[in-house]
Amino acid sequence: MSVDEFDPAIERLFARAPSFPDSAQFEAALAAKLNTSSRFRTMALSVAGLVGGVIAVREVLNVDFNFASSAVSASAGSQAAPQGLSMAGVDAAQAAQSLLDRLGLTGLDMSAMGGMQMFWATAGVLVALLAAGVVKLSQEI
Amino acid sequence: MAKPLRDLHDVELAALSAAGGRREFGELVRRHSPAVRGLLRRMGAQAALADDVAQDAFLLAFEKCAEFRGEGTFGAWIKRIAARLYLKRRSKDARYVAEIENDEVAPSVDSAGRMDLDEAMKGLTEPERLCVSLCHGAGLSHPEIAAAINLPLGTVKSHVKRGLDKLRARLQPEPVAHGSASHVG
Repeated sequence: MSVDEFDPAIERLFARAPSFPDSAQFEAALAAKLNTSSRFRTMALSVAGLVGGVIAVREVLNVDFNFASSAVSASAGSQAAPQGLSMAGVDAAQAAQSLLDRLGLTGLDMSAMGGMQMFWATAGVLVALLAAGVVKLSQEI
Repeated sequence: MAKPLRDLHDVELAALSAAGGRREFGELVRRHSPAVRGLLRRMGAQAALADDVAQDAFLLAFEKCAEFRGEGTFGAWIKRIAARLYLKRRSKDARYVAEIENDEVAPSVDSAGRMDLDEAMKGLTEPERLCVSLCHGAGLSHPEIAAAINLPLGTVKSHVKRGLDKLRARLQPEPVAHGSASHVG
């Protein structure tokens, strides 16, 4: 057997899987481990979702959105609809700023952006976060 | 009517497993676990450790099934996962290849002077066995092996070459003594 012939031969030997008499036990043990890890993951995801939800609700309740006053001023006044939206955007910026203040990021000045820009940027970020969360959750489950 | 699991290709089974199919993944385990368990033993793992690492490899594969796109075979993919897990486990034990004692075990041969691959592998030093099985069993390239076991590339190549030379010598049947039968009678 030459050297050239040998390597394919050894490849074939390595490719040939040995047989194990306890294959069924191995598969059963693996299935049990798989079930355990799946149960643990489901539980961990549920707990994490619950905790995250509670924190999110608490934060939303603590942030002063003050949308009501802007809506009143927008409808009661003689301003056009785009101006009302602009006011809502400014309020969203104020809400985001107050959230940043609570997180200790007071240095970040949100008021530098235009009202409409801020409104759409905030909405975009929220939608992106929501989509990312849904995708991640669907992959995990 | 759905095809029976045994008629499905590995790529189809992997795709179904990625969607959470346990039965489909079970079929993949049935098909490939002997090869993975065999590889780990050839790399030098004791039976219990080999099975433990093989199970962890399959658990990891189930989680990452969506990443298997069918570029290579599923068997090669899972063997690479298992080999890397075993190396990680070894490095946790702080037993690096360079520190392993190079004891060779005398392999046993059959009546015709031949031995099977597993027996022949026992005649290699542990670094040789590891490098040869990573190269030919798990399909890693020499640079990948060097990176995985933290050895210089030249050393890995030497281990593979020496290991193959030894296997080549051991897997060939012993030459039959001339004339021993013809002189009888």
